[in-house]
Amino acid sequence: MKKRKGIKGVALLSVATTLALATAACGNSNDANNGEGASSSDAGGKGTVTLTMMHPWTSPNADNDVYKARIAAFEAEHPNIKINQDGVAAAQYKTKLFTLAAGNNLADIDVVWPGADLDPLVSGDLLLPLNDQMSNWNELVREDALAGFNKNGNQYAVPTKQNFVDIIYYNKEMFSKVGYDTFPATYEEWIDAIKKLKAAKLTPISLGNKEQWPLQSSYMSTLTQRFAGDDFLQNVVDGKAKFTDEDFVKAVAVIDELTKLEAFNSDANNMDSVQAQDYFIQEKAAMHITSATVNARIRIDNPNGSKFGIALFPSVPGGKGDPKKAAGVPQFGIAIKSGLSKEKQDAALEFMKYFVNEDLYKDLSKAGIMVPTKKNVAGEGEINPFLEELMKLTSNGSTRVFDSVIPTQPSKEFENGLQALTIKQGTPQDVAKKTQAALDALK
Amino acid sequence: MNTLKGTRAAIFFGMLPALLIYIGIAIIPIFVSLYYSFFNWDGISAKSAVGFDNYVRIFNDSVFWLSVKNNIIIMVTGLIGQIPLGLLLALLLNRKMRGSTFFRTVGFMPVVISSVMVSLIWGMIYNSEYGFMNALLGFFGLDSWQRNWLGDTSISMYSVSLAYIWQNCGLYMVIFLAALQNIPGEVNEAAELDGATGLRRVFRITIPMIRSTILVAVVYSISNSFRVFDLVQILTGGGPAHMTEVMTIYMYNHAFVSRQFGYGSAASMLILLFSLIVVSLVNRLGREKEI
Repeated sequence: MKKRKGIKGVALLSVATTLALATAACGNSNDANNGEGASSSDAGGKGTVTLTMMHPWTSPNADNDVYKARIAAFEAEHPNIKINQDGVAAAQYKTKLFTLAAGNNLADIDVVWPGADLDPLVSGDLLLPLNDQMSNWNELVREDALAGFNKNGNQYAVPTKQNFVDIIYYNKEMFSKVGYDTFPATYEEWIDAIKKLKAAKLTPISLGNKEQWPLQSSYMSTLTQRFAGDDFLQNVVDGKAKFTDEDFVKAVAVIDELTKLEAFNSDANNMDSVQAQDYFIQEKAAMHITSATVNARIRIDNPNGSKFGIALFPSVPGGKGDPKKAAGVPQFGIAIKSGLSKEKQDAALEFMKYFVNEDLYKDLSKAGIMVPTKKNVAGEGEINPFLEELMKLTSNGSTRVFDSVIPTQPSKEFENGLQALTIKQGTPQDVAKKTQAALDALK
Repeated sequence: MNTLKGTRAAIFFGMLPALLIYIGIAIIPIFVSLYYSFFNWDGISAKSAVGFDNYVRIFNDSVFWLSVKNNIIIMVTGLIGQIPLGLLLALLLNRKMRGSTFFRTVGFMPVVISSVMVSLIWGMIYNSEYGFMNALLGFFGLDSWQRNWLGDTSISMYSVSLAYIWQNCGLYMVIFLAALQNIPGEVNEAAELDGATGLRRVFRITIPMIRSTILVAVVYSISNSFRVFDLVQILTGGGPAHMTEVMTIYMYNHAFVSRQFGYGSAASMLILLFSLIVVSLVNRLGREKEI
């Protein structure tokens, strides 16, 4: 009898616990649903609005410091608006962005990429069109830089910097050691220099291709333009050309040739891009091909910066593209999530006006970063000579970056194919064929 | 009779909260995933039903079969590496000796270190240009054995397996240690009196007595090997050129990196199916022996 009573008690207790848990869970989900409105009063006194912002500014870069300082300055000047930052490492950023987008869970303010990467966000109506706000930026930002963030006549984001992805940084001492006092101007000379560097027991090119984008973005954007011309990638997307065309296969074959010459460090596929920069900065390799952002790290902030020169990829035999052009992309577009409450949307626009303005462009320029502006933001003598040199090098027009034109799936297929070439698997024809097949599968 | 009925009800109510949570976060998503696997969907725009298309495409994808092969390599090397090594360590540490607590902690350490750290450490060890592995071989004059451990496609999967074994064998050590300590002291004393010592005692007395634990460990090791993800993702990212890609990475790349959620869901269904098949096979083998 006594025992039974005890058991009854346990049963009752369990039911009570279950109910409590269930109601607690419901309560939580209600809170989450009301979160947008509720957080405004909960967070910190009257009228405080809390915004979430996701950005990829985590690694130690000159521009990342500027961006973060700007957010801090905004918060200091707007005590009623709080920015909750979600910093995601650059290599994982796009994956997280699109996963959150799929669950309709974007942060209130997001950093987005132009072109093919913006399309799914726009087609899902996830971003706020900024058309009636553009008077804030039309005077400041170049039209061509805004264009990548414009879809169907709507402006969805404003870029904060201009990047070029294909700058060749080279060690002047190593090149003069093998008889080149200036950077090779033609492809034949370049290959000759690589052979001589190799013979002198120097690693010709430091490459960190573990994340797979460097070969696709920094190498193949330019090589495609040099061999097949400016419009080739767009033509492929429009169905007017194919990856299997001879010119493109020739461009891919460069990676094959570099592999056969053993031009890259042997651990290229196990290193990330930052490790490859370190390699180059520590003078373990003669060249490193990567984005203009790194100019600050390799040359401006580095006491030995003057040892390193910059160049663009040389002209190629029979090439259809202008060898003076670099592959450029406006980056870090700031966008606002659609469907925010009035209060939050106003706060987000307030933030955007403050964040993307002349002062940001000025601060970035001073830190040695290029910005997509038509104004002369830096005063006389304020521009670092290394940045000036880079601006001059990239001032002859730009060609587009591979994955900003080609959709994600064929781009990923292409990255894997390129990586296969670096371990001597497959042929340039195979790579071209598979990339074309991945593009065709989308239609 | 009544008492038993009451106990059952109490057990049921006691388990209810855990059951609800389990159904919510483990069972329902499996069915949601099954549903998505019949669609072509990027996660954002409208879904379009494609029937069994995703499954047909997966079965025709050589990269998928490569990932299955890599999973089998992880499974087999895991089994023949982790279980005997775990057992050996447990047998060594089960004796009364000085510092055994210290050695147990050291042995268990890799299990509690985050996979990110384990991957980074092994990444450095394996590096072909400055890595510890090649330096060690060079130190002993074995220069011809030096390799590009993660970049050379003929061995990269085995390099990954070694790191995987190192990471997990401490777990099996602890499981076996617990089982060994449950063997009554009289059994060992009796065995000793009967003249069974050393290896003979291990094979004739100890191992048969913890047989069921070993079987559980085998099933656990197999199902674990189908879930391996973080270690490989950070160590090699499945590269170079898919050579170390396992099924979970295949699924992740399609679902989250190239944004084909339907296709990725189909891949995750296959992972579930494959691990269920292998685990039930092992269970059956184990049961037959027992009879």
